[in-house]
Amino acid sequence: MENKSVSKQVVIYVTLAIMLVCALFPLYWMLNTSFKSQGEIYNMTPSFWPKKLTWDGYRKLFEKDFLLNVRNSFVVSLIVSLFSIVISMLAAYAISKLKFRGRNAISKSILYAYLMPRSVLFIPLYMLVSAIGLSNSIWGLMLIYPTITIPYATWMLISYFKTIPDEIEEAAMIDGCSRGRTLWSIILPLAAPGMAATFIFSFTLCWSEYLYALVVVTKGTEKTITLGLSDMIVGDVFAWGPLMGGSIIASIPVIIMYLFTSKYMVSGMTVGGVK
Amino acid sequence: MRLDNKLAYLLMSPVLIYLLAVMLLPFGWALYLSFTDKTVGMSAHFIGLGNYLDLLKDATFWKAVKNTIVFTVVAVILKSVFGMIMALVLNEKIIFRNVFRVLLFLPWTIPTIVSVFTWQWIYSDVGGVLNFLLLKTHAIGRPLGWLAEPNLAMLSVIIVNVWRGIPFMGIAILAGLQSVSKEMYEAAMLDGAGAVKRFFYMTLPSVKEVTILAAVMTTIWTLNDFEIIWLLTRGGPNNGTQVLSTLSYTLGFLNMSLGKAIAIAILTMPPLIILINYVTKRSLSSRD
Repeated sequence: MENKSVSKQVVIYVTLAIMLVCALFPLYWMLNTSFKSQGEIYNMTPSFWPKKLTWDGYRKLFEKDFLLNVRNSFVVSLIVSLFSIVISMLAAYAISKLKFRGRNAISKSILYAYLMPRSVLFIPLYMLVSAIGLSNSIWGLMLIYPTITIPYATWMLISYFKTIPDEIEEAAMIDGCSRGRTLWSIILPLAAPGMAATFIFSFTLCWSEYLYALVVVTKGTEKTITLGLSDMIVGDVFAWGPLMGGSIIASIPVIIMYLFTSKYMVSGMTVGGVK
Repeated sequence: MRLDNKLAYLLMSPVLIYLLAVMLLPFGWALYLSFTDKTVGMSAHFIGLGNYLDLLKDATFWKAVKNTIVFTVVAVILKSVFGMIMALVLNEKIIFRNVFRVLLFLPWTIPTIVSVFTWQWIYSDVGGVLNFLLLKTHAIGRPLGWLAEPNLAMLSVIIVNVWRGIPFMGIAILAGLQSVSKEMYEAAMLDGAGAVKRFFYMTLPSVKEVTILAAVMTTIWTLNDFEIIWLLTRGGPNNGTQVLSTLSYTLGFLNMSLGKAIAIAILTMPPLIILINYVTKRSLSSRD
């Protein structure tokens, strides 16, 4: 028995180690490359630690429009997420707490919208944005990104609101609180952690988006961070230093946000299906 | 509870109006355009099923269908298997479990485009670390063109998709595992059931639902993966990694034939609807 549990431990930790190496090596390689000089990057024998740390990769980024790209992404993600969370919260409240005709059909269509992939919608959305003259600007992105964030946020918030017992609300209403009042001063504070996680998730969805940005925006100054990164490849020439530096910068905000919300991950990712 | 129709519709109206205006109507318009010869900048003429018939006669389209199926099936199987392993390991009592959990989820959190570039650099034939490591350990005899040879290119794009997708499967299955009762296991161990038996007769059945649900959702996303393939290979070499999403983009935005590009998106709808229906049915029933 003793031996068996030791060998079991060995198997577990060895598997864990292999998984960690597979998951983290590419990320380490990105970080490692971002601090290397151009000469060291193209050395035929890759070095596993930069021989001399340089900021060249990062410096080159800021000679271009990269800061502008970061700003555009930030503005778009922030505005879209705020807008989405506010209107999704109202819909989610209605769906989870009120009885009305067509409730099932509506929650089903929201889940449908959540699962509908971008590759099916990118042409209709491109045409919509061009038809109303918003192509080539971050306004066009602000119009269409909620198609990603609203169904997602609504679906998430329905799950959170359902975890709040109806009795709390009923008690408040017996005490004379109106619907609006209970939503504002009872439900929202209780759902705050879930709202924060949903907001952060929406933000990272917009921040990482590429396909819609690719078809909607072609003007340099309106490009988002993902487009800014892909623009660094000119033909077959890859400037790996700046590209990896830019990748690190693009990853940092989402990693930080993720660290704050990792405990909400389970319910978040599996859209309430797993409980 | 009494019906709150009015209030409910009022609260939902912003979301419903938005989704109607920005998803449903454009989609309906696109459906109409798939029956026209619409090109970028030109007006559309009705051509009936022309686009669809052209596609069905087009060898590249069928190649893309085949590639989409291969890409999706292989990637989803690999993600499910590795996700299961990850969940089983993280479900054990290990030191720093939460730290490892966070670290293992990192590939899923970073933007897709970032992971694609990182892998592109790893695959690179000039200075790429993958060839270097494999040559050094004598696993391969000559440097391989990871993105340049059709079969290898398919493997390479699958690897990136799998690398990114394992954490989703892992976390979903882990959630399922954590709801399995410990008593049941202890009873089974007392009865002398070995680890393998316990896995197949107890663990697997209890996480079956979750695993299938997560796998179906993963299938929807994998089926429509655009970024990884587009950025790594542009569907090449020689259409070796051309999938429906990249073909649709190529036809619509490089060849300017929007009508045909939309027709591809429409053709992917039936399987998609079946999959989405499955998820909605499961999710809605487990919720109420």
